[in-house]
Amino acid sequence: MPSLRVPLSWLRELVTVDADVATIADRLHMAGMEVDHVERTGAWGDKVHVGRIAALEKHPNADKLQLATVDYGNGRIKTVVTGATNIAAGDIVPYAEAGATLIDGHTGQPMVLRPKPMRGIQSEGMVLSAKELGLGEDHDGIMLLPKTLPVGQLLQDAIGDAVIALEISPNRADALSIYGIAREVSALFAAPLHAPAGDDLSAVLDPKLLQVRTLDEAACPRFGAAYLEGIAIHPSPSWMQERLVAAGMRPISNIVDITNYVMLELGQPLHAYDATRLHGHVLVARKARAGERLRTLDGVDRTLRSDDLVIADADRALGLAGIMGGEDSEIREGTTVVALEAASFAWRGIRRSTDAHGLSGSSGSAAARRFGIDLSPALVPIALARAARLMREHASARLIGATDVYPKPRPRTTVRMPASDVVRVLGADITPKESVDALVRLGFETTLRDGTIETTAPAVRTDIGIPEDIVEEVGRIVGYDRIPTRMPSGPLPVHEPHPFERAREHARDVLVGAGLQDTISYSAIDPAWLTRLTADGTPVAPEPLRIVNPTTASQSVMRPTLRASVLDTARRNMRYRSGVAFFEIAPVYLAREKDLPDERWTIAICLAGRADPVRENETWLSPERRYDLHDIQGAVAALRDAMRASATGTATRGAPGMHPGRSERIEADGRTTAVVGQLDPRVAEKWELPEETFIAELDLAALLAEAPKRPAAATPPRYPAAIRDLAIVVNEARPYGEIERAIAESAKGTVESVALRDLYRGPQVGPGKKSFAVRVVLRSAAGTLSDEEVDKAMRRIQGRLERQLGATLRG
Amino acid sequence: MATTLQDLTTLADTAVREISGAADDGALESARVRYLSRKDGLITQATKQLATLPASERPAYGQAVNEAKRRIEAALEEREAALRGATIEKSLGESADLTLPPRRIRLARTHPIARTIREIARVLGSLGFEAIEGPEVEWDYYNFEALNIPRDHPARDKFNTLWIGNPLGDDPDRPMLLRTHTSPMQIRVMEKRQPPVRVVVPGRCYRFEATDATHESIFHQYEGLAIDEQLSMADLKGVLYSFARQMFGGEREVKFRPDYFPFTEPSAEIAFDCFVCDGTGTANAGRCGTCGGSGWIEAAGCGMVHPAALRRVGYDPARYQGFAFGGGVERLAMLLTGTPDIRLFHENDMRYLESV
Repeated sequence: MPSLRVPLSWLRELVTVDADVATIADRLHMAGMEVDHVERTGAWGDKVHVGRIAALEKHPNADKLQLATVDYGNGRIKTVVTGATNIAAGDIVPYAEAGATLIDGHTGQPMVLRPKPMRGIQSEGMVLSAKELGLGEDHDGIMLLPKTLPVGQLLQDAIGDAVIALEISPNRADALSIYGIAREVSALFAAPLHAPAGDDLSAVLDPKLLQVRTLDEAACPRFGAAYLEGIAIHPSPSWMQERLVAAGMRPISNIVDITNYVMLELGQPLHAYDATRLHGHVLVARKARAGERLRTLDGVDRTLRSDDLVIADADRALGLAGIMGGEDSEIREGTTVVALEAASFAWRGIRRSTDAHGLSGSSGSAAARRFGIDLSPALVPIALARAARLMREHASARLIGATDVYPKPRPRTTVRMPASDVVRVLGADITPKESVDALVRLGFETTLRDGTIETTAPAVRTDIGIPEDIVEEVGRIVGYDRIPTRMPSGPLPVHEPHPFERAREHARDVLVGAGLQDTISYSAIDPAWLTRLTADGTPVAPEPLRIVNPTTASQSVMRPTLRASVLDTARRNMRYRSGVAFFEIAPVYLAREKDLPDERWTIAICLAGRADPVRENETWLSPERRYDLHDIQGAVAALRDAMRASATGTATRGAPGMHPGRSERIEADGRTTAVVGQLDPRVAEKWELPEETFIAELDLAALLAEAPKRPAAATPPRYPAAIRDLAIVVNEARPYGEIERAIAESAKGTVESVALRDLYRGPQVGPGKKSFAVRVVLRSAAGTLSDEEVDKAMRRIQGRLERQLGATLRG
Repeated sequence: MATTLQDLTTLADTAVREISGAADDGALESARVRYLSRKDGLITQATKQLATLPASERPAYGQAVNEAKRRIEAALEEREAALRGATIEKSLGESADLTLPPRRIRLARTHPIARTIREIARVLGSLGFEAIEGPEVEWDYYNFEALNIPRDHPARDKFNTLWIGNPLGDDPDRPMLLRTHTSPMQIRVMEKRQPPVRVVVPGRCYRFEATDATHESIFHQYEGLAIDEQLSMADLKGVLYSFARQMFGGEREVKFRPDYFPFTEPSAEIAFDCFVCDGTGTANAGRCGTCGGSGWIEAAGCGMVHPAALRRVGYDPARYQGFAFGGGVERLAMLLTGTPDIRLFHENDMRYLESV
């Protein structure tokens, strides 16, 4: 947002208001002029005064020191030892008594003044340089004050000021000036406003001296100029310099300072040319020619774009219109004739040119910042008149004539609306008369007839267009505090169910409840991460969306997988702990042709290192162990259980970036919906993670699709179960899952559950074999199973295990 | 072999004596087996004798067997109770080291951002706002154009945008970006639904921004939108009052001041009086660290939905009005959890996450 520094003294010159600075700042803030802060310049306290050098004599013991007799009123006279040579009797200077807090002129640090003898003579206080007052870097001499200042007054009352630092909304071009803020203050406090005085511009300018033309009325709708002679270039008066500094600009010389002063005061940027440098006595606003070059005031040689608007003379571009002047035609020390430009430029073109030339934002000029928002063309003649007057007063200028090209004057905005709209929109009891009063105070020409408000905005108010704008103006001035609080009534909106979000948050709760920490990492990642997810660097995910203008390379692509993020989280935590167990639920971004990407919500779980039950290193109740494959599978199984998701899809051993033998990929509908298992140890190494690091990635939508819409409630069984234990010896290669499936399938409707109790390898079963101890629970919903029925089922189970799986059953 | 009535009495006497003297559960169990085992317990054997006796002796003998069995069972029960009592007595005399680390159930915590988003959705849900979500990668149209922020508009300065390049090809007429706010969902919701509308949209947002203790380029926002026939800024104020009080408790006050957003008119910024210092600006005899001494916590931007935005989605602004509000989730999460640095949210240091 454009910022504006408003020196209080300047503001008070333009609006008569009694309120103190805090009150003014608060009211402005509460009316939408955001106050960033208020600063005081010169809070020097009660020990620094306006003093007069009553007499000056040489120090009896030192060649380079003088004794100054300082009178600071009420009969107070002190003798001060000083090394300064720029003072004479009668000068008005800042004087500090002992105990004053000042800036040390040499170190720049704050210090408290103590009386001390210098070459045998006690210095009773000090006369001060600007630097010692914190007013600048000048420490060569004593600061000379205007002779009009009353001797004896506290310096902070004589020359101290306050600055209100504001952030102006980009729709309020009218408020980006001291006078603009004065208008606001005037409306808020019903205080009299004083327009800055300008000179009469009615003298017609002889076209032989200067002509102005706009060749692009859209880009430059208004072009005014004044022609002034008899100029003497010298520094501007100190009050003007002080105000410029307070407002944040650097004083240069009277003509340039006046253009800046008027810009700050009225909001309209001006540009002064040395008129003798103009070829053909013309100023033209036109689009740049292809390849046209210009050296701007910042010393940069620029090649112009054909979209750039320039101000040119008969032969060449003189400056980037509204943005920055050129070196060649600038005011210099010997300038005596000035062509003063005040023009109006369309904001869009200004913004495009500043962007194209790298002159936007903080590197941009104060003029470009103003022209980059919708500044009213109405300011052109007002600013010219004001500048002409100041140049007459402070640069001995004679106005020869002025011109103003404004082919299509912009009409002022008139809004007609029911007065009741104010109440309807604000919900506050504001009478039509109050609304009218507020608008009139803001300078809106307003009538109220038959309940209808008709109001015409001041020409500078380019932000006004619709009744809601008027409502806001009324609201701002009467204060938003007037709006009461109410709860919405009316019919209840239709609510749609959100099963996906519910499932996602359910999953989050389940995993947190299982002791896995919830994490959220950056969704934009380093593309280099994606090359570290497989041993050979081939990607595990499709090519990511790029951020065209990233803040940093480490956040320059949208992650197409959560894996890199969780590995990074694990790595950073493993630096100080021996184990991690956490998850993240977030979308991955998968590019689609001619469309927004698919944002697929994914659950990623990571387990690595020591599986201490709860607290780091605490093993007294549970033996030390490390996370293993069964843990990650268990986490996934528990999640599926909690969500009642039955595993569907096709399982394949191995997945890119995962351990080829200790991981599994599930596919459904041609997409990978889950990856579970051990990370490829070579990848783990790249991430400085334990060789055995375990990962699960689950597509949340697929998980939800596997879940029933509502649970199938089970009633407790009515008949007793029969329990049988089996020891099943199979070849090493035989997976357990086949045994469980064979048992379940061989006695459907009777086998209630199969539980693995132990896995044994060793001499009792011989090499290449393993033995599963399994407990089978048999139950029928129809009645108690007889011994014969149980035996029959067990024979079927045994038969199938032997036949299908080559198993032998141990006794 | 107990064949006489006297034998049975003796058997019972012996058994009762033995049982009464059983020192523990094991001794008791072997006594029970010896006398009452269904297979070959002494009483079972005696019962089997019954069949070998002449019919005339059977009633008396049967009665005697039953009496012996009853006495044995009673003795067993009595001894069992006595032993149980002794065990309990012994247990009651024991005492544990209660300071040893327990077998703690492993728990983790919901991420503070996820938790805050839930809390926002819960509070606004209670006010009739339905929580919905939308895309993070967005068209320029929804993020800007439809919200009255055309290309080059000065208001874009505020939204330092991160632009997206699609590896499958860019369309120069349809720029893609990372949404800079959750406000595009205002348009998406209104395009899909007819009034009345009341939704809250939490979600991740992005801006080209330097990161420091209070700024992140990736962050979360929440967006509220209500459209109906008779909504005013007073309703907006009411909703935000209720929101502030449910989130931060007590008698929170809400301060409105005018602000500027291209897609609301009038617009406002809301602040809550500080819930730590109760708006006084001082806490613990110093400047309140939560509100920075101002007494107010700036929380969100809001306003009445701009008629142009309503018109663009086909709502009649003469009939429907509405309000929208939006704020930063991280800011609320920092306040609610006392998190001093916004970067902690994405750092995922377990020591931090386990503490909040």
